[in-house]
Amino acid sequence: MIDRRRLLVLLAIAAVSPALRARAAETLRMRDLYEKDLSFSALARKLEGARVEVSGFMAPPLKAQSRFFVLTKRPMAVCPFCESEAEWPDDILAVFASRVVDAIPFNVPIVSGGVLRLGAHTDAETGFVSRVRLERATVARA
Amino acid sequence: MLRNTAAFALALTALGASANAQTADLPQADSAWFTDGKSVIDARLAQQPIAKRAKNVILFVADGMGVGTNFAIRVFDGQQKGMLGEENVLPYETFPNVALVKTYNINAQTPDSAPTAGAMNTGVKQRFNLINLGENAITKDCSTEADNALTTFGEIVHEMDKSVGIISTARLTHATPAAVYAKTAYRNWEHSAPEGCMDIASQLAAAMNSGLIDVALGGGRRHFLPKETTDPEGKTGRRKDGKDLVAEITAGGAQYVWNDETAKAAKLDGTPLLGLFESSHMKYEYDRTGEPSLAEMTEMAITSLSTNANGYYLEIEGGRVDHANHAGNAFRTVTDGVAFAEAVAKAIEMTDEQETLIIVTADHEHSIAFNGYCGRGTPITGLCYGVDDQGVKHSDELVTADDGKPYPVIGYLNGPGSVLVKQEDGSYKGERPDLTQEQATDPEYVQQALLPKSSESHSAEDVVAWAKGPYAHLLGGTIEQNVIFHIMMHAVTAE
Repeated sequence: MIDRRRLLVLLAIAAVSPALRARAAETLRMRDLYEKDLSFSALARKLEGARVEVSGFMAPPLKAQSRFFVLTKRPMAVCPFCESEAEWPDDILAVFASRVVDAIPFNVPIVSGGVLRLGAHTDAETGFVSRVRLERATVARA
Repeated sequence: MLRNTAAFALALTALGASANAQTADLPQADSAWFTDGKSVIDARLAQQPIAKRAKNVILFVADGMGVGTNFAIRVFDGQQKGMLGEENVLPYETFPNVALVKTYNINAQTPDSAPTAGAMNTGVKQRFNLINLGENAITKDCSTEADNALTTFGEIVHEMDKSVGIISTARLTHATPAAVYAKTAYRNWEHSAPEGCMDIASQLAAAMNSGLIDVALGGGRRHFLPKETTDPEGKTGRRKDGKDLVAEITAGGAQYVWNDETAKAAKLDGTPLLGLFESSHMKYEYDRTGEPSLAEMTEMAITSLSTNANGYYLEIEGGRVDHANHAGNAFRTVTDGVAFAEAVAKAIEMTDEQETLIIVTADHEHSIAFNGYCGRGTPITGLCYGVDDQGVKHSDELVTADDGKPYPVIGYLNGPGSVLVKQEDGSYKGERPDLTQEQATDPEYVQQALLPKSSESHSAEDVVAWAKGPYAHLLGGTIEQNVIFHIMMHAVTAE
């Protein structure tokens, strides 16, 4: 039985989903930016300086009320039997957002949009060293 | 005795002949299933145990590959080779001797890799999170190390003038490889330990310089270098004592290699060899670049160790089958599992079963499980297709659960793929996401799980052990994990 309210929700989803699909088609994945040896892909070099959207997961933020977070390609599991100390995978993306970011659980797929920057950079505020970044970024659940 | 054996052989022949006569007229007699099944019996009847002393022993351990994980690897490997998958036979699955292995630790139903590897290397079960200490030792209590140190299989065969090697795609200081040479109250003391105890990397350096370990290939460079030192890949060491253990080991006469290029140039003439191919663990096979595969390291080690006329003991770990399971990423679990199978195939190819005992096993299983009912050839890392009543291969219909959504074949009972997601109020709620086959078979896909846990857990379920070679027939039934040691011991000491 579909009541009126549920019908409205369904209609709303139907209206939104083509847009979502369109966005998914343009959204980059981390592996589109990195080669296996962690060098930048031709696509990444081409898009440097452009505004792009990248899908992934938000690693647990280093501190609350921050404009910075790390985008990972798989949920950033903390594995006591794999690692004796917390550490980042090699293939990450540092995201510097325009506003303070609301933390999203580490295993919820997200899409972050921002200006793509390549090359080693140490952030003055956090001290975080990154090789590839999104600047002036926004973030949304995928 | 001989007469009894001859009579037994005659009886078997007679039985075989009589079975042939009785089955020839059966309606199923011409089916390939039937004839293939019968040929297995013929092969088993012809199988002769090799009851003579083993010169060499190779112990393969796929970390975290229980019965379920092995099934996934078998099907994936078959599908990669163009089969439906289920019918595939992995290289070690042809071995004539098989047992189920109980993996619990002295004080843990669910085991970890330290005491499980210790059990296989010393012959006794051990306590959770420690390596090669007797049952009175206490985890993380350095003061209990000295009086509880056990003697390892590596030390025993070293006294028999055999060579000893270790290979792992994890860090060489990680639990499974460490169990060949180290004794520690805590598996995480990889580069530092409390006063009075020696860290695991220092124990490997001592073992290489004393001649106990001849070949060591794997990851974990950071535990051998001072924190002030940056390695050729731009990563810093972890040691706070300022010691450069790579320098200490090479000063003792060993060669040192750190990437695929330097590995290719290594002398495999019996000169001690240390390979540290990553700062931490080596890369997953799917992501591998610039470092040798597990099969290539296996070839290097066997070539070098074989120069000892007295033989060798080599432990080879596929260390990251476990890590991918922890991450809930079945794709890397099976791709690392296939790399492990290829390493076993390389060892089979390079050794003579009349003189080399090969045991292939795992230390523990994970919380992995398999949904049904899926048709033949359903992609093992993907969504469940239906059964085709007319054909053999699966239908093209995705099977749905009561929520109307398709589901992956592989799920985990816990892990990062939990369908329960943390809400803003701290509670956990959720529903299963809608998925396409393309999304589910993507290399980055994280399998659906029930309980929310950042890292998926081990499980206490049994693992398998397969064996071929001298005294491999001692392996059978359902055994405690420490029995593996006793099979190896009997094989190298039998009169």
